[in-house]
Amino acid sequence: MSTISTALRNFKEPTKEQLTQNFFSLSGAVFTDASAEKSQEIEKMDINAVLSLGVEGVEDSYAGKLYLMPPCLTFTSLDRKSVRFTLPLCTIRRVERLNARAGIYALSLSSWHGMKIIVQLTSLRPTADLFCSLLRDALKVELQRGRMKAVKGFVKTCYSEVLVSSPAPENEREDGSLMTTEEKDAATANESAYHGGLGLRFKFPGDPKKLREASKIKLWTTYLKAHGRNLTLLRYPQCTRLVQVGLPNRLRGEMWEVLSGSIYLRFASPGYYEQLLVENKGRSSTSTEDIEKDLHRSLPEYAGYQSDEGISALRRVLQAYSFKNPELGYCQAMNILAAAILIYMSEEQTFWLLEVLCDRLLPGYYAPSMHGTLLDQRVFESLVQRCLPIIHDHFQTVDVQLSVASLPWFLSLFINSMPMIFAFRIVDCFFCMAILKINGEKLLQIQDDGGFLNHMREYFASLGESAHPNSTDPRARAITNFQELLLVSFREFSVITDEMIQGERKRFRSEIIHSIESFSKRSSIRNLRTLERFTKDQAGLIYDALYKAMCIVPPPPVVLPPPSLLNTNDGTEEKPETRIGLRTFQYFLSEVATWARDEKIVMNGFQQRIDREVAEHEFIDRLFFFWDVSCRGALSFQDLVSGLDGVMFNDLMENIEWFFNLHDKNKDGFLTKDEVLTLSESFLFIFRYEIGDAYLGAVSRFMTNAFEYGDALLPREEGADDSEPLPSPTIASNLPYLNLATFRMVVLADEILESFFETDLSASFRLEPLPEMELPVSSSGILGDLWSTIATDSNKRMFNMFTDEIGKAVGKHQVVHRPSIGRYTKLEEPKARESLLTPAMRRSMSQGNLSGKAKEDEIKAAASSSSLTVDAVMQPSKDAISAPPSSTIYSPIPKPLIQASTLAFMERTPFAIDDAKDEDDESEDEVDGEDNDDQVLDEVDAFLEAHDSGLTDADKELAKDLRTAEPVK
Amino acid sequence: MAEAASGSADKSVQVKLVLLGEAAVGKSSVVLRFVSNEFQANKEPTIGAAFLTQKCRLEDHVLRYEIWDTAGQERFHSLAPMYYRNAQAAVVVYDVTKASSLEKAKSWVKELQRQANPNIVIALAGNKVDLVQSPSSSAHPASSSESEDEADDATATPGETPASSGGEPEGLRQVPREEAQAYATEAGLLFFETSAKTGEGIVELFTEIAKKIPIGTILASTRGGAGRAGANGGRAGTGQEGVNLDENAAKPKDACNC
Repeated sequence: MSTISTALRNFKEPTKEQLTQNFFSLSGAVFTDASAEKSQEIEKMDINAVLSLGVEGVEDSYAGKLYLMPPCLTFTSLDRKSVRFTLPLCTIRRVERLNARAGIYALSLSSWHGMKIIVQLTSLRPTADLFCSLLRDALKVELQRGRMKAVKGFVKTCYSEVLVSSPAPENEREDGSLMTTEEKDAATANESAYHGGLGLRFKFPGDPKKLREASKIKLWTTYLKAHGRNLTLLRYPQCTRLVQVGLPNRLRGEMWEVLSGSIYLRFASPGYYEQLLVENKGRSSTSTEDIEKDLHRSLPEYAGYQSDEGISALRRVLQAYSFKNPELGYCQAMNILAAAILIYMSEEQTFWLLEVLCDRLLPGYYAPSMHGTLLDQRVFESLVQRCLPIIHDHFQTVDVQLSVASLPWFLSLFINSMPMIFAFRIVDCFFCMAILKINGEKLLQIQDDGGFLNHMREYFASLGESAHPNSTDPRARAITNFQELLLVSFREFSVITDEMIQGERKRFRSEIIHSIESFSKRSSIRNLRTLERFTKDQAGLIYDALYKAMCIVPPPPVVLPPPSLLNTNDGTEEKPETRIGLRTFQYFLSEVATWARDEKIVMNGFQQRIDREVAEHEFIDRLFFFWDVSCRGALSFQDLVSGLDGVMFNDLMENIEWFFNLHDKNKDGFLTKDEVLTLSESFLFIFRYEIGDAYLGAVSRFMTNAFEYGDALLPREEGADDSEPLPSPTIASNLPYLNLATFRMVVLADEILESFFETDLSASFRLEPLPEMELPVSSSGILGDLWSTIATDSNKRMFNMFTDEIGKAVGKHQVVHRPSIGRYTKLEEPKARESLLTPAMRRSMSQGNLSGKAKEDEIKAAASSSSLTVDAVMQPSKDAISAPPSSTIYSPIPKPLIQASTLAFMERTPFAIDDAKDEDDESEDEVDGEDNDDQVLDEVDAFLEAHDSGLTDADKELAKDLRTAEPVK
Repeated sequence: MAEAASGSADKSVQVKLVLLGEAAVGKSSVVLRFVSNEFQANKEPTIGAAFLTQKCRLEDHVLRYEIWDTAGQERFHSLAPMYYRNAQAAVVVYDVTKASSLEKAKSWVKELQRQANPNIVIALAGNKVDLVQSPSSSAHPASSSESEDEADDATATPGETPASSGGEPEGLRQVPREEAQAYATEAGLLFFETSAKTGEGIVELFTEIAKKIPIGTILASTRGGAGRAGANGGRAGTGQEGVNLDENAAKPKDACNC
């Protein structure tokens, strides 16, 4: 079947702090891991600073901002582009205050690699002092955690160490792979400590000569020597330039790791990958099955993946990731990605890089709903529209969907679209700057302006060819299409920044979520084994109610069904299916069934609203287990549809039988005495808000009759061993007592119950369109924040409470429970009912209480007359309901009588509404509320407005204060 | 033949066809066989969808298949409507060695019948039938070298013919021909068992689809938007020569089958 996910609703805009972390390629895991061990939380802080490299003349100085984010120290230049670094604190070996001329506060930091950087703190003196003391504390903590010692072992795993320490780079073979003798050398010299990918054994793709590996290596070696490496790399403009030129194959893996920040994860969790594999050894899941299918289909042309070594490495990495993130599991395209990465990286490195990719760089791309991909498709389309309107219009006229082509590009980062060597270049840049992801594609659009997919394919294939084959200048001829592509993308689309993409994502997020949700709704409905007697639209309404309930009370995570014999008929294993628990069910039912919610009509002179609460009663629990036909303690969408079908289309007899079965716990066709009592309680529960006492009378008559008939039938049942005296047949309360026929007879003896079963029960289930649920507010800025704080549920509640109080003070406050059935009140209390449901009457009631009083008298009269019979009946049924001396004591359930008699005067129980749970702010969607245009409401509106703006101002002030206050902390 | 096809471009009929089915049942291989008469043992999984075209001749019409080959994994499901909208034909593929893939195929059929173009021609194709045939009829000389690893993998792509298949090939079959045939008849589908590896049944599959498509109505409708059809016809898909779907001609052309 299908799973229904509300995960998309839970999206939260990243906080500023998270954005900063992302900017510095730090994932949340780095922090959580660190803070778990930390004894006290170390404050974060940022400060203005000027960075200069310790070595004279190599790089300029850059002004920027220094961030202390334990366990890292990070810096970025003011333009957020030129220079940045992310140093784990533990790689800082030495911090010295420099003796400089007065007024200058400078620190010299020496890193593990012997590199020296100087930061000049340009903030005010006290700020700088504070920063230094915080830095000192943070460093101490790192030392205590023993992280300093970890560095030494860790850097050995990085190829750059070998590169830099080896005196002569000429032992790098041009073909990028080591000769066998060298392999031995490397093995002995470095104890093969550094991590590398399959490429070391199976060669890297591409011709090393053409790629000019040797000169690239040389350039990088120089850079790494001066600017630190692996954990301590400083990224100056030169670094970016080198990346754009292309990474040398042997260094590529490490640079990916460093630039994406996955190296910090690997550093923070040593051994995690191995452990994960060991712990989950032999486990299988849908993901592992899917992975098996694709193992041989990942870059099959690469030699490494024609060998067992490559295949099993790929298997381990993909499986490890699916164990780490079971919700995401495995998505096709990840295999291609992982396979490509594995050429350059070790398994462990690949694993962490995948983590960073799926979690941070490509959020939601590979999730089961693929919302990230869809979202970015939309963003991409809009960017094309903005930047290349001609192409966009052209596509529009010929009805070409861009996403048809671009989807695979996005998902596999071009790896399977372009020849490998070029794809890796794209990947290089992708890790360097996330913007490029969009830029690259952009440009591809330029090249192609009519023919579509085939053209694209041909174009990709021609990337290696000369862009200007007819040019006379040999140097121009040497420029390949690919270089041109990169050039154009960097030059012309550098306007597209990360922020822009973020903004676009924000814009389209709700649209995408909406379309995904409506798709999954359609497919859930389609996947139902049977619609029963519902139409598709009705099933849709059931789904909506279920979905809403799931949003508010999330169900337990999807569990695999236990091996059962129920589904063996097709020989297919059942797919995981969303099932809801009791709490969610209660909420669901409250949406669907009128008696499963407590609705209070509150009038306080300012507004009239309906407060809705989820009712809890044994009856609902019973229904839950009654519908749980497969006995899993949880209901699926199908169960709900079938369950509702079982009651919504019933006629009189079917309803009676349904109700009977519902209370017949052991399904033996008999109700026990206890069950008769619970059944009566169920009646009382359903009728609890009915006006007047007709229903109450009916239930008591039912009980009298039931026990009378039951007792009468009893002797015959026990007739076999009638040694006991018959006149007072006592039967244990848990033995079979009343069968369906008797029950039916008893029910039909009463007109009210009869009509309840004939129509009202089925009609109390109502499928009504729900109001559109709001997505989490994703607007940003002060205004958005303010609005979201104002519009929260709690504030709404506060407002309601407030108006209630005023209403009380003015004497116009009243609370009325809305009846679930609201039918038979007409028989005895036609006026009372009128007053509830028609606006004209209601207003008159809320103003003068005269008519209310009159009614109240009537009600009292009626109540007292019926209470006599009730008393009489109640006596024999000793335990369940205590015999009431007066009409006001049937108190397991609030009595309609009480409601009615105090209708006009009732003092509202203090704060009853404030206890309301989150669910209850559905005040607008009442069924019969076409009446809100009376004066009273106008007053309320006026009041609302005034009130709102007042709050806004106050909050604005507060927000302002906070913003200025923060840095001082 | 290609010349003939483009020469009678005004008669060419575009047929949008979409392939659906569970992951790794061989959708892409079926298309590849049809379009370029090739077979790749380890075809990379399709991401999103792939697009190929093939021209074929049926009686006096030229059909131009625009084939959308979709990704099979469950999570790509939500993208499928994008591809099957306006499709005139669909091939739902399952794997004869995997019972669950037929179930998935059934759900695709259900979805198509409810959601897609109401006149869509649907064909059910049980692929990888070479795995369950006796070696004499199916063995391709090249296959023995590819069959070393994954001998126990029932989900293997055709290239990974288990070495044991020579012994009891029918043992691999999980979907009896009769069962699938019965379902297809009941649901009103065309039905074929195919092998992308040997080419068995592939041309027949597309021929029967072509015959069933109401060419006249498509012609009538595309005449109106002739400008578009002409433009598309201009960029001939794969550059391969077309396949002649007339049955007489089909036989000699597929001589490689046996």
